[in-house]
Amino acid sequence: MRILLVEDDPDLSRQLKMALADAGYAVDHAADGEEGHFLGETEPYDAVILDLGLPKMDGVSVLERWRRENVATPVLILTARDNWSQKVAGFDAGADDYLTKPFHTEELLARLRALVRRSAGHAAPSLSCGGMRLDPRAARASVNGEPLRLTSLEYRLLHYMMMHQGRVISRTELVEHLYDQDFDRDSNTIEVFIGRVRKKIGPDRIETVRGLGYRIMALEGESEA
Amino acid sequence: MKLVAQTRRALFPRLGRSSLVLRLVLLAAIWSVAMLVVAGFGLNELFRRAAVDRFEAGLEESIKGLAAETTVSDGQVYAPPMTDARAFRPFSGFYWEIAQLGPGQSVTPLVKSRSLWDSSLSPPAAVIAHARKQPGETVYFDTIDPLGKPLHAGAQLGSIPGRNSPVVFLAAENRESIDAATARFVVIIVGSLVILGAGLIAAVYLQVRVGLQPLFRLRREIAQVRKGKTDRLTDDYPAELSPLAGELNALVAHNQDVVERQRTHVGNLAHALKTPLSVMLTEARQQPGSLSDVVERQSEAMRAHVEHHLRRARAAARSQSLGERTDVTDVLDELARTLERIFQSKSVSIDWTTPEGLCFRGEKQDFQEMAGNIMENAGKWCRRNIRVSARELDPEWFSLTVDDDGPGLPAERRGEVLKRGARLDESAPGSGLGLAIVDELARAYGGGVTLEDSPLGGLRVVLRLPRAEV
Repeated sequence: MRILLVEDDPDLSRQLKMALADAGYAVDHAADGEEGHFLGETEPYDAVILDLGLPKMDGVSVLERWRRENVATPVLILTARDNWSQKVAGFDAGADDYLTKPFHTEELLARLRALVRRSAGHAAPSLSCGGMRLDPRAARASVNGEPLRLTSLEYRLLHYMMMHQGRVISRTELVEHLYDQDFDRDSNTIEVFIGRVRKKIGPDRIETVRGLGYRIMALEGESEA
Repeated sequence: MKLVAQTRRALFPRLGRSSLVLRLVLLAAIWSVAMLVVAGFGLNELFRRAAVDRFEAGLEESIKGLAAETTVSDGQVYAPPMTDARAFRPFSGFYWEIAQLGPGQSVTPLVKSRSLWDSSLSPPAAVIAHARKQPGETVYFDTIDPLGKPLHAGAQLGSIPGRNSPVVFLAAENRESIDAATARFVVIIVGSLVILGAGLIAAVYLQVRVGLQPLFRLRREIAQVRKGKTDRLTDDYPAELSPLAGELNALVAHNQDVVERQRTHVGNLAHALKTPLSVMLTEARQQPGSLSDVVERQSEAMRAHVEHHLRRARAAARSQSLGERTDVTDVLDELARTLERIFQSKSVSIDWTTPEGLCFRGEKQDFQEMAGNIMENAGKWCRRNIRVSARELDPEWFSLTVDDDGPGLPAERRGEVLKRGARLDESAPGSGLGLAIVDELARAYGGGVTLEDSPLGGLRVVLRLPRAEV
């Protein structure tokens, strides 16, 4: 297992390198954002531990650039800032987990194990529909390369519809696949979710077939990405 | 100066604090009423003088007629026949008399009109004295006729050819016509001046209301900024108010700037301290012993202090902030997808609903903090499902209800969870400081947190917060 550690504090870096090596990982270390970005882009790592407050290029920017360049390596973010806007920004940039300082090394190692296990787990193929792509392995979707910011219900809705591209899917069918059995929901709420998803992927990609349900399709003139 | 101010305060005790409209209208009203009263008296006096002049011209004419035509024959004085028929009707209101001067200032009638019957005009001594000094000039005086009616009379000293001693020619006429005309004029003039005054005051009031309209608009807009309806004032104010609006906008902007800067400073300090704390903690754990125990405990205490003061500074900053509003939809969307990632290994599903356009009246960070901590707590204890729904309670307030399907929290322990500083053991839902912070924050906004049983089986947390008006 090969890990990239991007952290500028020398003492913390030394401690983490030692702890990670003890746990059996091979560790590369970068002390600033630019070096970190370069290593993450060129070397095949199993996971990245990324500090957010970095010299030269901050952690969120590094992460955003990796995700734009289709670097799918799972990333665990380390930061001292634990307010929600920071967490939201981190996850929206494409982070897979988040740990606030100060932390116990044991917790970091446990999180890292879970992260690697998750990403290695299911290897479902990615789905695409026009400019839309959906990667079930990382539970991420994008439109024309721009990552989409979806909640899990929205993601599940899009996933189900993309698995059944071109077919009209009724509301009842969607309700059954979105919610647990013991969860009684009004099928009208599907309209709300369709509305939210349309807002995020563009209004014309999901067609309403009156009286029957919804259908997802590629926009005209759009090639398969 | 002090005396003037004191006098002013004594005269207009409430003017200093009363409305601008009242001040302006009152001042204009005092001035116009004073001017109208002066104008009223002046016009009345002019009219009366004109009427009296015309009246006296008539008397003068009669006296001149008497003086020109009176003759003497055998020591007997003969008056000319008067054309005015009233001179022959007793007590008709028109009288004449020719009198000779007696001892002192007394006079005795020589000839008089029939209308006088057996009385005489008997001018006062002062009039005779005056007439003697100015022969040929008419001196006027007021008297009454035998019936007691008011008369206006003229007396003139003159001589008759063929008689050595001078005589006094007198003519008098009932003056009730002047008095009646003047009275009629007074009624008309007072009436029209009152109407004019009322019109003037109404015009001034209108002018002030319309003229001060931008000022009222400014006040409404400031109220809207305070209520969080808008975050700055518009720019289309008249030249006098435009700088004020500009200054207010700058003040609001500065205020937000200061809040943001304080937050950044405190955040930077906290950030700077946390990395060394992390290093110390790790180092201490690697070398077990009494020293490392102390370091670990103290590091933990330092971390708690940093958190505490971070929150304090943010609360202080919040109390100064104005005109903030936060879209609930945006925050719930961000938090839902972030928390689903945080609890990915449990594949937690967060189902949220909120009315279109609902806004929290306050800072985005605070709303994130409150909603985020409640939802994170739900995420920690749920099995799989979290349901979040925001609802408008009334125009001022909304509620955010977070349900989970976890083990729930017994009613008797719910009070402790919200108690500030109380720290339950980590094995129960809602433990730790999470919900206490939320309650503290919500109270700062006048709202609060309540805990109930959830229909999903776990804990229901209801957060009550102020709405921003749309």
